[in-house]
Amino acid sequence: MKPAPAADRPLALVTGASRGLGATIARLLAADAYDLVVVARASAPLAALAGELRSHGGLVVEIAGDVSEPEVRRAIVAAVERRGRLDLLVNNASELGPSPLRPSTQWSLDALERVLRVNVVAPLALIQLLEPYLARREGLVVNISSDAAIGAYPGWGGYGASKAALDLLSRTLAAELRDRSVAVVAVDPGDMRTQMHQAAYPGEDISDRPLPDATLPFWAWLLGQPHAEISGQRFRAQSDHWGTPP
Amino acid sequence: MIRSGLEFDRPKSLEANAPPELGGRARDSVRLLATGSDRSSHHRFGELPDLLEPGDLVVVNESATVPASLEVTSAERTLVLNLCTRYGPNLWLAEPRWGVARPGPVPMRPGATLSAAGARFFAVAPYPGIDRLWFFRTEGSVGDAMRLAGRPIQYAYAAGSFPLESYQTIFARVPGSAEMPSAGRPFSSRVVDRLHARGVGLAPIVLHTGVSSLESEEHGPEEPPVYPEPFDVPKETAERINATRCAGGRVVAVGTTVLRALETASSHGRVVPLRGFTTLTLGAGRPARSVDALITGFHDPRTSHLALLFEFAGETRVRSAYREAVRARYLWHEFGDSHLIWRERAGS
Repeated sequence: MKPAPAADRPLALVTGASRGLGATIARLLAADAYDLVVVARASAPLAALAGELRSHGGLVVEIAGDVSEPEVRRAIVAAVERRGRLDLLVNNASELGPSPLRPSTQWSLDALERVLRVNVVAPLALIQLLEPYLARREGLVVNISSDAAIGAYPGWGGYGASKAALDLLSRTLAAELRDRSVAVVAVDPGDMRTQMHQAAYPGEDISDRPLPDATLPFWAWLLGQPHAEISGQRFRAQSDHWGTPP
Repeated sequence: MIRSGLEFDRPKSLEANAPPELGGRARDSVRLLATGSDRSSHHRFGELPDLLEPGDLVVVNESATVPASLEVTSAERTLVLNLCTRYGPNLWLAEPRWGVARPGPVPMRPGATLSAAGARFFAVAPYPGIDRLWFFRTEGSVGDAMRLAGRPIQYAYAAGSFPLESYQTIFARVPGSAEMPSAGRPFSSRVVDRLHARGVGLAPIVLHTGVSSLESEEHGPEEPPVYPEPFDVPKETAERINATRCAGGRVVAVGTTVLRALETASSHGRVVPLRGFTTLTLGAGRPARSVDALITGFHDPRTSHLALLFEFAGETRVRSAYREAVRARYLWHEFGDSHLIWRERAGS
């Protein structure tokens, strides 16, 4: 197929893109004619994904690294800066914590700090750095949350606390950035058959959980919504409806 | 619910295969079976106002049918693309078919290009679990392509092709349905005037229907391919529904589309303003509580609509009503006869 002219193509940044939900979202965006910056720690699967994404004809920049490291974030900003604008930022990269999960009283504090750095500090750092580029395009920030942010599930305390913090940051940022025309939403994708979910339940059969592509219709819907109408909301991708009050 | 629980016998001859107005009859001349707690009674649709009381509220779907079926070219092939749902300015869910009467799946791969009347459709991804539906990114005006070359989606039982007007209800205002929200079809301005004169209110919602062809041919209600449909329940309508029920009036949904929208927008026994997409499935184990009666057509065996009706009004009552409809030779399908059925608990 003939790609759209580069100047017209929107640019999206997806973290944690090498597998699972991040790869699902990146594939949808590439097929929907987005240019992409994809970030993940695992360089080999990331390179394989980037090759696949390029077959759609768009520009794909891959950055292998951990979003919790400042130099990796600087590389991300440099990639976006070359384009000068950003349409979509998907903060998907997440740290689960110890596997198997354990009661909060038994979490090592180092593990908790690592979870907070990846799930809370890194997304905010990226938003701080990329906000000028998002503002140029009335861009959208999607922070990937979890039902553990609300559920109080035993073992999930550290991860859930980080996602609860990210939820509140999302709502606060939505209010703060409204005047800059940058929209921010939080999305709970629901249980999925991913490597992270397996790590939470090592040795257990999780084949009853849907694959991440079950969330495709939600992303298709979300990307078509007027940003001002969805900003500040928290969505559940596998809910029986996605709505906004008029 | 087991699939055999949704069987019943209906002679093939009891199908309306053309709009009544093409035979010189008024839309509101179709028959209306009314089913309450007692046995069903027989009426013409024009008598609907006599079956309701002052203070009742009738909720209708203002979605207009679009000419969603396009002949498209792809490489050397000519195909039919039935547009299902618009997800965004340039993103559609659609069903590629071999022809009007030849369903898919048509083998697709991401990036495949279909063209029709100035619009181009690029395959993005299949709908998860439903290989007959694909997301397409579009270039050019899909609206113009439909206006220039689109036709209403049709199925084999209809005798010939009918103009788009045959697929519009009197309430049609907001374009977007792939297939007619058919429960509103028998309404005429005369019926609307008589409802007003009797003190029965009318309130609108919008729900755009997708393509329905996938359902009964391939899947039973155990595994219905449920995909989201856009809906909008405005503030005024939500307020009027709540006020009606507070005052002891009854709410009548015109069609399962209205029921689906109102149930999606229900929260703690009240209807709230909401718009978005809904995949809510009503039926066994998920009763509808937001309305007291439903006006709908006659549904085929093994469909999720029938499962919904069983849950809404009780299987015994629905089976009894359907036996009566078959005995009295009511007509099935979207140009056919109509059924006013009260919720089991309402019982009046």
